[in-house]
Amino acid sequence: MAEKIKISTKKVNVFYGDKKALENINLEIPEKKVTSLIGPSGCGKSTFIRCLNRMNDTIDICRIEGKIIIDNEDIYSKEIDPVLLRAKVGMVFQKPNPFPKSIFENVAYGPRIHGLAKSDDELDELVTQSLVKAGLFQEIKDRIHEPGTSLSGGQQQRLCIARTIAISPQIILMDEPCSALDPIATAVIEELIDELAKNFTIVIVTHSMQQAARVSQQTAFFHMGNLIEVGRTDQIFSTPSQKKTQDYITGKIG
Amino acid sequence: MGFWSFFFIIVFLGLTTQWYGTNKALKLNSNIKEGPKLPSLPSYYGTNAFLWLVISVLLFLIVWVFSKPHILDYILIQNIPKALIDEFGGTPNMLIDIIKATDISNIFPGTNPIIIENALYYNKIDKLSDSIAYSIILFVGLTVSIFSINKISFLFKARQAVEKTNINLLILCSTIAIIATIGIILSLIFEALRFFEKVNFFDFLFGFNWSPQTAIREGQVASDGAFGAIPIFSGTLLITFVAMFVAIPIGLFSAIYLAEYAKPSVRSTFKPILEILAGVPTVVYGFFAAITVGPFLKNFVGEFGFTIASESALAAGGVMGIMIIPFISSLSDDVIRAVPQNLRDGSYAMGATKSETVKKIILPAALPGIMGAVLLAISRAIGETMIVVMAAGIAANLTLNPFESVTTVTVQIVTLLVGDQEFDSAKTLAAFALGITLFFATLFLNIIALRIVQKYREKYD
Repeated sequence: MAEKIKISTKKVNVFYGDKKALENINLEIPEKKVTSLIGPSGCGKSTFIRCLNRMNDTIDICRIEGKIIIDNEDIYSKEIDPVLLRAKVGMVFQKPNPFPKSIFENVAYGPRIHGLAKSDDELDELVTQSLVKAGLFQEIKDRIHEPGTSLSGGQQQRLCIARTIAISPQIILMDEPCSALDPIATAVIEELIDELAKNFTIVIVTHSMQQAARVSQQTAFFHMGNLIEVGRTDQIFSTPSQKKTQDYITGKIG
Repeated sequence: MGFWSFFFIIVFLGLTTQWYGTNKALKLNSNIKEGPKLPSLPSYYGTNAFLWLVISVLLFLIVWVFSKPHILDYILIQNIPKALIDEFGGTPNMLIDIIKATDISNIFPGTNPIIIENALYYNKIDKLSDSIAYSIILFVGLTVSIFSINKISFLFKARQAVEKTNINLLILCSTIAIIATIGIILSLIFEALRFFEKVNFFDFLFGFNWSPQTAIREGQVASDGAFGAIPIFSGTLLITFVAMFVAIPIGLFSAIYLAEYAKPSVRSTFKPILEILAGVPTVVYGFFAAITVGPFLKNFVGEFGFTIASESALAAGGVMGIMIIPFISSLSDDVIRAVPQNLRDGSYAMGATKSETVKKIILPAALPGIMGAVLLAISRAIGETMIVVMAAGIAANLTLNPFESVTTVTVQIVTLLVGDQEFDSAKTLAAFALGITLFFATLFLNIIALRIVQKYREKYD
């Protein structure tokens, strides 16, 4: 493939205490494409995605071996500040988790702590732009100072996306972003993911193979802590090379 | 029949009723080969009969406990010769009290023989009336349990009846708590009203001079009494303020450390140690303040050329603050940990540092709970008695200087009510007026705080 590689992992092992959660993961993620991670529950795909922005640092018993390279830098090397890394690698969670603040304050949170806006006008503009990009602005422009928690589940999730893109990350990690949403809200988010892929590298964990097929260009299949197969999405779903992948996508395991 | 034999018979009757009712229901069910059985499980029929028995017995017992003194007094008065009543000033109440208080197993020589005779008589009717009452109650209990066992039939829904009885019992318990509160307030109000018959309400509430030591007998040297409560309320507020000034920052910051930063091993050591502070009796804090902190402050402040009273507001308030630290830290720790993890994750994922997350996400989300903890602590500080009795002064100085000695509402209530007192002088009644004012002040504080909490609450679920 001629694409530029944004993230590459080399021999990554992850342990929770004594338990090995991921074993020898070697994966390359292309820039400004959507890569989906599929696999049965407990296969390690969420653990993997949380390694990419070092969210696993907040779990005391979690230990990581190997290299994860983003833009030619090993993010686990001593020189990397996880706080700056997370500004570059944003994350959207499974359950929408807007802060208990107004819609405006939710989006303004990141720019404020990173000092991205020099004036109030600039901040207003940044917040508006982020809400527009997340496809939420038209729906909520009259109630931007109401609590973020008053929105519907799908709107909350788009608010979380707006909040993430407000700090202009290069990569957005999405950990089953639609699993708490109804089909209509899911469709809206999937369209949004297509749109976002023009500017961001997106890694999405999903339980739904249909969703992986719809939104992603590359798919990686995880099983029992191992990366079984990775390739172009259409290829994985039509002619998988591994027996386990075949079994999973035809519903024999999972 | 004595109380314990009555008690064990009732327990036996209760167990038998439960067993018999359940058995009867089981038998009814086993006779049915086809078709619908009893509408509830057999054990519910037993429980229903048991509950009826217990409730009726308790009801009658309560009626007896409250009516017994009146009945006995009435019988006793009939027995006392008219001449003796006249000898005791014409009213029998005092005489009845003397007779009841006479210990018949240890009679003082020289006691009036008629009183001894009546004391023996009282003792006799006391035991006899108990026996009669217990027998009647047992009879009632037996009737109720036979009746409720007879009621077991295919038409009777025992489960619904038991559930309903349970709900009513729970309602009764919560009502008792409310009635007790109302009773306390009413008793305070009535005594306070008697005080305000003697002292003008506004003179009390807005007066600047407090010196309640009035003469209680002719010719005693004492002031005429001045009941202006402002100096003691200002003293209470000053000490409370000093206490909060110590307790809020230390308590809150240690809560933040324990909840957000401490490793589990550190936390499991620190938290119990902090909570030991809450277990120290307040009297120990009291002499710590009076004997250690007070003199220390006197020397320390003296070094800088200031003067400080031995019983300064600073010493009492500071030690009170130390006492209150665990309240604030423990409650705040709980509410901080109750903030959902996904909010922290959300903040970290935005590239926020730990301190930014604490400041901007966690503390605002936990604020209502923290406010609650602080309010609880303030009520506790205002009502705290032992530390201030030992370490604060008695003189009612109107000052905002924490180096001076002030007095508090609780200290005044204690000094007014300790020792020989007349219970209808303005001096003692002032204690109740102080009590009710303190009560309303705390109530008002709580209401305001609740409003604030509701208004600024950040909902996270």
